Amino acid sequence: MLGTVYTGFGYWDVWSWAAFFAIAAALVLWLRAQGREDYKEGTDQDEIYWSGNVVPEEGADITVPASSAYWGFRKAMAPFYKVLTEMHTGIGTDIVGCYVVVVALMAVFVLM
Amino acid sequence: MNWNAHLPALLLAVPLFGAFASPVLSPFGRTTRNALLAGLSFVTLLVSLLLMKSVLAGGTAVYVMGGESTGLALPLGMKLPIRIIMEVDAFSAFMAVCGTVASFAGALFSMNYMDKFTALGRFVSLYFLLTLGMLGMMITGDIFNFFVFLEIASIASIGLIAFWRDRPEAVEASFKYMLISQVSSMVFLIAAGALYGKYNALNMAAIGGLIKPGTMEKLALVFLVGTLAMKCGAFPLHMWLPDAYAEAPSGVSCLLVAVSQASLYGLMRVCFSLYGVNLGGAFIPWVIISMGLASMFFGVTMAVVQHEIKRLIGYHSVSQVGYMLLGLGVGMLVLTDARGMAEYGFTAIKGGMFHIFNYTMYKALLFLAAGAVYYATGKRDLNELGGLARRMPFTTGMFVIAAAAISGLPPFNGFVSKLLIYESVFAVHPALAVVALVTSVLTLASFVKVFQTAFLGPEKSSFTAVREVPAGMLFGMGVLTVAVLVATLFPSWTISNLVEPAAKALVDQAGYIGAVMGGGL
Amino acid sequence: MIANAPFFVVGLLFLGGLTAIFMEKNLVKIAIAISVISSSVNLFLVALGYRVGGTVPIHFLAGEGTRMVLPTPQAMTLTAIVIALATTALLLSLIMLVHRHYGTLDIDEIRRLRG
Repeated sequence: MLGTVYTGFGYWDVWSWAAFFAIAAALVLWLRAQGREDYKEGTDQDEIYWSGNVVPEEGADITVPASSAYWGFRKAMAPFYKVLTEMHTGIGTDIVGCYVVVVALMAVFVLM
Repeated sequence: MNWNAHLPALLLAVPLFGAFASPVLSPFGRTTRNALLAGLSFVTLLVSLLLMKSVLAGGTAVYVMGGESTGLALPLGMKLPIRIIMEVDAFSAFMAVCGTVASFAGALFSMNYMDKFTALGRFVSLYFLLTLGMLGMMITGDIFNFFVFLEIASIASIGLIAFWRDRPEAVEASFKYMLISQVSSMVFLIAAGALYGKYNALNMAAIGGLIKPGTMEKLALVFLVGTLAMKCGAFPLHMWLPDAYAEAPSGVSCLLVAVSQASLYGLMRVCFSLYGVNLGGAFIPWVIISMGLASMFFGVTMAVVQHEIKRLIGYHSVSQVGYMLLGLGVGMLVLTDARGMAEYGFTAIKGGMFHIFNYTMYKALLFLAAGAVYYATGKRDLNELGGLARRMPFTTGMFVIAAAAISGLPPFNGFVSKLLIYESVFAVHPALAVVALVTSVLTLASFVKVFQTAFLGPEKSSFTAVREVPAGMLFGMGVLTVAVLVATLFPSWTISNLVEPAAKALVDQAGYIGAVMGGGL
Repeated sequence: MIANAPFFVVGLLFLGGLTAIFMEKNLVKIAIAISVISSSVNLFLVALGYRVGGTVPIHFLAGEGTRMVLPTPQAMTLTAIVIALATTALLLSLIMLVHRHYGTLDIDEIRRLRG
């Protein structure tokens, strides 16, 4: 078969995946097409709900900037990121220093 | 006359001609220069495909420069090859195909992308020199020539990274890369000299046939591995990489991805073909595996918190290189163990190799898409972008494909190569596969962030004048999208025709040596 | 032992250059340190090809000597010198651009790209 890849422990077949995807998508779309009985067009149900406030005209006012994405993750990992960002000092000689230290350590260990 | 025999020389001659023709031809105007850039890149791509075809049909190609006959590696009954020799096995040809596809796409993209700027004759010249350096590294059979091509590639890439020399950050990134690249290439030269002093040969196959484990060889190995791991951006040595990738023009970042793969090729060539069974224990394989794990994890965690689009993608380069180091390192670990090699080692190598192809395609595509966003909006900070999907539907579509592929979402090609890596490195230790899986999750997380903040969301008033990028740029991205989709929809065809011959050539040290030194090892 | 003296000199030069990269803050001095390193590597290659009492490695019309120094490392050295020339020129021009943009030559202050 053209799309089957054996990994030694299992296999991957892109066309069967596509077939399952198509079946699942059809099922989901059919369920969605059933709709809700209590929906009425042209009422308040059509409005965008924005915490009960008026939705602003300008898109920039309601977007979450990228720097705020995954705020919780970054807050939880703050000590980790502190170490990691302090490592990336951006000073040219530190970059060379890293290289020299890594090569020197490898040289010491390989000769031991 | 059989042209197939001259393909290795032609592969270098075409970009070299382009590099020196461009200063002569570029005064004739924009069309001539663009035709030169796109035309010769396409010819290089064709030559590499023909080379791949001829290598698959006829076995390893050896090309001797300046000899009486191009196939005569050992003239006059000499024991060691004395001339400059190109040696192209399936692995080299595979890498050359990956590299030339990226180079062609970058060239198509740059035609429109660089239009606003001056001194484009020099840009085209440097672009071809970078392509030449990359291809030279991939097909040379000589360790000193490898150094020369490495230097050509780094000088050209330094020039291209600082191409927008009115931007302070570009000059800074270029300067930092230059510092580390100079120190490390001198270390590389010491290793090459040490091997020459010991074995009187510079040809990798000749050294590989003679090499015995010893102190000097181990030191040389460490120097070579350190330098090449730095050039491909393994974790503790990666800090130049996001800077350089982010500040280079996008068409160049796309080619730089392929150039870093050439260094990875050198690393694997040194470990598998030059040292091979003489690697001297499991230390170097474990160094490469742990560098791979560290690159994957720390690269992706740094990427999650970035908010400049190209810098974020640059950190992902670090993490993706980790996958290849992991897969190929596991293969290296079981190089002398036939049972382990048959059970999982070869699958790991295949996975790493397939990932090289996939990575080059989708990472180049991501850089081009980021460049298209920059071209259309003039912004690179994700905080300022938003709602571009309505204005740039084609760019968005191709970005989604690349982002899904890099995150390893089924059914895309990134998933297939990652699956091969997970299922084989699991046999060494489950922790390796766990780190790889966590990395994949975080990759998806950071690309969801990029996609959501740059392309989705309500339209911003500052972007109402944004238009889809010109056709040349879309074609450049389209080439890579087609490559991603082919590898997605026909993974077994790709693996059996491109990846598996390359993986076989990589583990076949005797074959590599025998092609130059003859059968009498 | 005395035959190994060139290699000790090479090692000292290399370590000296490497130390200077970390000790010096001025970009021009770092460029000089990098030049010292590449000179030491060139010296290493030339010393590698030397044979005691060897003459120039030319076969015809070059005297009576049959014991020659190795020609390949000399060819390598020439190539490496040319490359070092190109990179030094490029490095100095980059330093010029850095100075123009940042107004300083202190390497610790050229760090807009970090994190």
